[in-house]
Amino acid sequence: MEILAGFGNGLLVALQPENLLYCFVGVFLGTFIGVLPGIGSMAAISMILPLTFYLEPTSALVMIAGVYYGAEYGGSIASILMNIPGTPSSSITCIDGYPMARDGRAGIALFGSAVASFGGGIIGMIVMAVLAPGLAELALNFGPTEYFAVILLGLVAASAVSNGNPIKGITMVVAGLMLGTVGVDITTGAERFTMGIPEMRDGVHLVIVAMGLFGVGELIVSIRANAKGALQNEIDYKKFYPSRAQWKAMFAPILRGSGIGSFFGALPGTGQTVASAVAYAVEKKVSPNRESFGKGAIEGVAVPEAANNSATQTAFIPTLTLGVPGSASMALVIGALMMYGIVPGPRLLVEHSDLFWGLVASFLIGNILLLILNIPLIGLWVRLLKIPYRYMYPTIIVLICIGVYSLNNNVFDVWLTMAFGWAGYLMRLFRFEPAPFLIGFVIGPMMEEQLRRAMLLSRGDATVFLTRPISGALIAITVLLLIYAIASALRARRRAAQATDVSSEIEAPSTSNKG
Amino acid sequence: MRAFLLRLRRNEEEARPPHAYLGALGGAGLLALSIVFIVGGYELGVGSPRRLGTGAFPVITGFILAVLSLIVIAADLRNTEDAERPDWISFAAIGAALAVFALTVGRIGLVPGAFLTVITASLPDPSLPILGKLVLAASVSLACWALFIGLIGLPFAPFGGV
Repeated sequence: MEILAGFGNGLLVALQPENLLYCFVGVFLGTFIGVLPGIGSMAAISMILPLTFYLEPTSALVMIAGVYYGAEYGGSIASILMNIPGTPSSSITCIDGYPMARDGRAGIALFGSAVASFGGGIIGMIVMAVLAPGLAELALNFGPTEYFAVILLGLVAASAVSNGNPIKGITMVVAGLMLGTVGVDITTGAERFTMGIPEMRDGVHLVIVAMGLFGVGELIVSIRANAKGALQNEIDYKKFYPSRAQWKAMFAPILRGSGIGSFFGALPGTGQTVASAVAYAVEKKVSPNRESFGKGAIEGVAVPEAANNSATQTAFIPTLTLGVPGSASMALVIGALMMYGIVPGPRLLVEHSDLFWGLVASFLIGNILLLILNIPLIGLWVRLLKIPYRYMYPTIIVLICIGVYSLNNNVFDVWLTMAFGWAGYLMRLFRFEPAPFLIGFVIGPMMEEQLRRAMLLSRGDATVFLTRPISGALIAITVLLLIYAIASALRARRRAAQATDVSSEIEAPSTSNKG
Repeated sequence: MRAFLLRLRRNEEEARPPHAYLGALGGAGLLALSIVFIVGGYELGVGSPRRLGTGAFPVITGFILAVLSLIVIAADLRNTEDAERPDWISFAAIGAALAVFALTVGRIGLVPGAFLTVITASLPDPSLPILGKLVLAASVSLACWALFIGLIGLPFAPFGGV
């Protein structure tokens, strides 16, 4: 009952004309940026963040969320039409989406993915509305010791489990935590590692780190990946409405995909890419139509899209109730909230219940907008993909420059973006993931504060993290997770060395845009 | 100029992809960074376990990072896989474009600044002829003028210094 009342209240907030407008603008811009090949939702959010500083927190969050799921959806358009995943999580959609487009069923694939995204988004929203208040209530009893343990678990999960090499992931998280200390120490007021540069006193702005690592870094990678040219072939997107049999074929996969996606989205660290990969793999085992998977099955488009979008929504659960982001995009959301002086955590639901429920309700409205927007606009997105990349990337660079410059009207920020952009490219080259770095960078100050408080309360006794029951259990889970991640990485390497022909079936068709 | 760039591109395409032990370089960079933070953290003061000082968190994370980067270096040196092929031309061009924007925007204004930024970013792209680059740069800079100064009203000077 309480949930329904909260949701109703949120609906009133979300339906306020200005919030509706920002939701629409966010979804539109997010889809627009997400469609552009090589730029994912991370870059989209960091490009939009400076624009939201002038808004009221609820409107800003509604707009950021709109950009986020808009970009996720836009990414699937690029993967279906061009076999280039715009976002890493939509690489699974390529497997069946691209064959459908080649068969002249692009319109149906796009519409199917919109419907699946919608279904997934709504189910994810319901899961969030039901689970988040309970989790927040549980977390209200947390002291600094428990908080520190939760953050530690979140960081290890986000870096070690996701993808790639767990050691390198953890290395990047720790590097992010360390560099997050640059600037004035909030507890003592002392300057740390500012090198006497006044612009560094407030630390490096989150938007600069995100824009450099993701915007600029991804752009450098994508120049060569897109040199082969833009969308060439004619796309038949006029025929978009699925037949009755196709509707029926999609229904159960959407439900299964959303269930799997909601689960993985809420866990810190796994996120949409894992969600859509697992959902696809499960569907391939249980579907009656499993032979046509990979050759253009509509179920193969619906499942990852439903999982992806429901995970996008449930990722907000740990982010808002515990303040622990499961992914780099969620780290940006936390960073944005903190810029407004709102501390994400269990108190958020009590102190800013309008904001929380307004956001939940805006998911519903945003998903409806996404569906309405994309039926008439498919033609626009197709035309956008036909613009050669050589016109696109110099324009994007100028937009990035203007965006970071306007943060403080200072060219120093542009220089820093250049440095982080180069660092982002080198990270990709050396196979370090930039996402865990950003998560560590955002969470660092919070983690340090909890550590200091916990140590003060325990009078300098560090064993308190192990002896208090909740934190002890969380630390134990963290250690188990760490062992599991390293063991499975070692096993994977040994298996790869033994047999080179066992290629994973859920491997992305194009890995050039790993973000 | 164009022939030179094409040759440079071709050389890059044909060069053998370097081995992943280049990743050890990344580990070495992180190791150096962690040493800076450990030393700097000690200078700031680590405090006592009860009252952790300003430098405590940098020192703790610095030590963990140092150990992890040593593991990364050791692992990458034994790795024999091929690494991704670097694209140093785009790397340099994009960095230079940001530098050009930083150097020009306060001195000669947004419109010429954006113009030069686009030219710099697209300079190494042989698929776009000089005329195309000029047209692209002119349209982007004029559009920025209209959008960011005219419509949104960001505090940029269109021409000349601030």
